[in-house]
Amino acid sequence: MAAFEYRQAEEIREAFARHAVRYLFIGKSGAILLGFPDTTQDADIFVEKDVRNGRALVAALRELRFDLSPEQAAEVERGKDFVQLKNGPFDLDLVFAPDGIERFEDAWARRVDVEGFPVCHIDDIIASKAASNRQKDRESLPRLRSFRQFWLERRR
Amino acid sequence: MAPALTEDVPIPREWREEFEAAARRPLAERFRYAFIRTYKPILDDAPFRAFDTMKDYRRWCEENLPDWLGYGRI
Repeated sequence: MAAFEYRQAEEIREAFARHAVRYLFIGKSGAILLGFPDTTQDADIFVEKDVRNGRALVAALRELRFDLSPEQAAEVERGKDFVQLKNGPFDLDLVFAPDGIERFEDAWARRVDVEGFPVCHIDDIIASKAASNRQKDRESLPRLRSFRQFWLERRR
Repeated sequence: MAPALTEDVPIPREWREEFEAAARRPLAERFRYAFIRTYKPILDDAPFRAFDTMKDYRRWCEENLPDWLGYGRI
């Protein structure tokens, strides 16, 4: 599997738009979209958990050539809290209930548009990483908090 | 609502330079630098995994992944 590429992010954006999927880039991939210079492996998508959105998501994923069995599609549609996809042209993590964010609607209201990509606000990305309390997230938090300061300065 | 992050934090000079350099790059170029593929044992060995709750996912990571991957909770 090759690294995630910009054109693949564009494919997500376009397919998800065609199917009206409500989603946000989150995690380090979201921070990178906001301008955070760091490295990561795959894209993390925060998806609104509801029946219509789940069906739209499955349709969009199949269009993107993810090979979902009927059972797997049902699990995605139901909105299991975390789904890890490595059965398509790129790796994708679907997060329906990220730590540190109570409701999709709240994050959606704070979202940032980056060239048509809907991205979680940096505060939500940081809140999610802080709440997950993993070693790898803890290590990235000081730099992310400094980036937040820089990002806010540029937006003033 | 995510907790408000209101306090100012210092930006080390080296990081500020990196942030400014990244801000000058087009998004597609930032992607090229940012997304790097390396094999992660066990995590990368299944084409599909789904967890009912984040708690289940975190527990699975702690019980199955090597510590050095950094997925364990502190």
